[in-house]
Amino acid sequence: MVLNLRYTVQKKPNYEVILMSDELKIVGLLCNWCCYGGADTAGTARMQYPPNVRIIRVMCSGRITPSMIFKAFQEGADGVFVGGCHIGDCHYDAGNYKWSRRSKIVEDILEEFGIERERFRHEWISASEGEKFKTTMEEFHKTLSKLGPLELK
Amino acid sequence: MSYVLAKSQNDDIHKAGECGGAVTSILKYLLDEGIVDGVLAISPCDDVYDGVPTFVTNSEDLMKTAGSYHCAPTMIGDLVQKYLFDKKVAVTAKPCDMRAIEELIIRHKIDKDNIYVIGLNCGGTVPPVAGRKMIDLFYEANPDDVVSEEIDKGQFIIELADGSEEAVKIHDLEKEGYGRRTNCQRCDVKIPRKANIACGNWGAEDGWTFIEINDEKGQELIDGAKKAGILETKSPADPAIEGRKKVEGIMIKMAKKIQDKMYPTVNEIDDWNRCISCYACRDVCPICWCYENCELNKSFFKDEQNIPPSPIAFQGVRLSHMSFSCVDCGQCDDVCPMDIPVSLIFDKLQKKYFDRTGYVAGVSDGTKPPLYSPEKTEL
Repeated sequence: MVLNLRYTVQKKPNYEVILMSDELKIVGLLCNWCCYGGADTAGTARMQYPPNVRIIRVMCSGRITPSMIFKAFQEGADGVFVGGCHIGDCHYDAGNYKWSRRSKIVEDILEEFGIERERFRHEWISASEGEKFKTTMEEFHKTLSKLGPLELK
Repeated sequence: MSYVLAKSQNDDIHKAGECGGAVTSILKYLLDEGIVDGVLAISPCDDVYDGVPTFVTNSEDLMKTAGSYHCAPTMIGDLVQKYLFDKKVAVTAKPCDMRAIEELIIRHKIDKDNIYVIGLNCGGTVPPVAGRKMIDLFYEANPDDVVSEEIDKGQFIIELADGSEEAVKIHDLEKEGYGRRTNCQRCDVKIPRKANIACGNWGAEDGWTFIEINDEKGQELIDGAKKAGILETKSPADPAIEGRKKVEGIMIKMAKKIQDKMYPTVNEIDDWNRCISCYACRDVCPICWCYENCELNKSFFKDEQNIPPSPIAFQGVRLSHMSFSCVDCGQCDDVCPMDIPVSLIFDKLQKKYFDRTGYVAGVSDGTKPPLYSPEKTEL
């Protein structure tokens, strides 16, 4: 925290935003075969991306249920990211189709609970797309910084 | 799909039934011929406000189930699933009952071959307590003297023991907060077309029941009952069919108007804050069938310390499990001790899901809700 403050004083940006964005918690549910590989690629290539994301590896995006997303928000996540294989590339044939249909109902329900739509994001990222994983994380982190921490009502 | 007008050949049933006793006759035929093990229907207990789901195995007992009970809203879909799944049964079903049965068939909890569904057209039901109060306030009669009630041509009609009738416009009752249950007011499925046959008095002349035959099983039912000499049928004239269509159209139009008015009024966050996590809405829901295995019972969701529970981890989970299959039967509203408009929120999400996918719970054809389908398509 001390380091952060010093950093912000030097650069003279908005203290609050920097403090807040470093405390942001992102839960990332990544599919074992593609997006987790993508994150691995980004790591091996030493790409810098926001360290706020806590990655949970799942075998397939098709095994992610809406309840998992809700649980993450309830436990204090400010944003939830889901990564899966590109359509047609699913290791289990059709898991990502199932997830894509489920994600729509998650969006609908989150809206009802006053959680901004932007706090939940899903993306198809293959194991070779380290760059895409990095940029997605940066974008997502930026969006969440603007929204600030989530206050559940 | 075809239409017939029918009435009972049996004088007792003809008198006891709501309009010609066709439904009771068909049930009697099914029992007498041994086609089914039993019949699940509603019979009054103490008065017309007290309807009890009754499993009848002897056709002589059928007489007490004759007539319609708008003040006794019960759900029979989950009863069939819980207690009668291994029997051959015939049930009488309002549109929401039928939708629940259809959703349970999709979930392999009811065997389609084991069940005969006699659908009943429905313009809405009235909550029993509010029903009594409303008769006390708006009618000159004592609620205890009412022997039968009927909803017809936009009016709620009560009949007293001496045969006199009194009617008040439902619209006037609902303006004052009485009348039909709120979920019935916004319900836009008035004819259960997934049932084998759908019966009602819309378009029918006095003493006859208008029947829409929806499938082959329904046709066999009518033909069989006719052959057994218990049912008399004739084909309806075109004006009758048109008249029925018109009644249905008007009701649906009214429902849509109420939907537009009702959906924006709900404030989920404030409503959920009253929740005391009694799980009554889950336990009564005909679509929620997991019971002991419910995700809300799992250690990672069980939250006994916090009241109200975190809305997203309680109602959110339930919404994600079955809101797309909500049949808007309103049982959750009825049981909620904190008067949370649960069904309104679930129904609103069902409509949202419909806008996305075109899936109407328990009405749409096709094997599964899109969320369960193995199809390789994105929404």
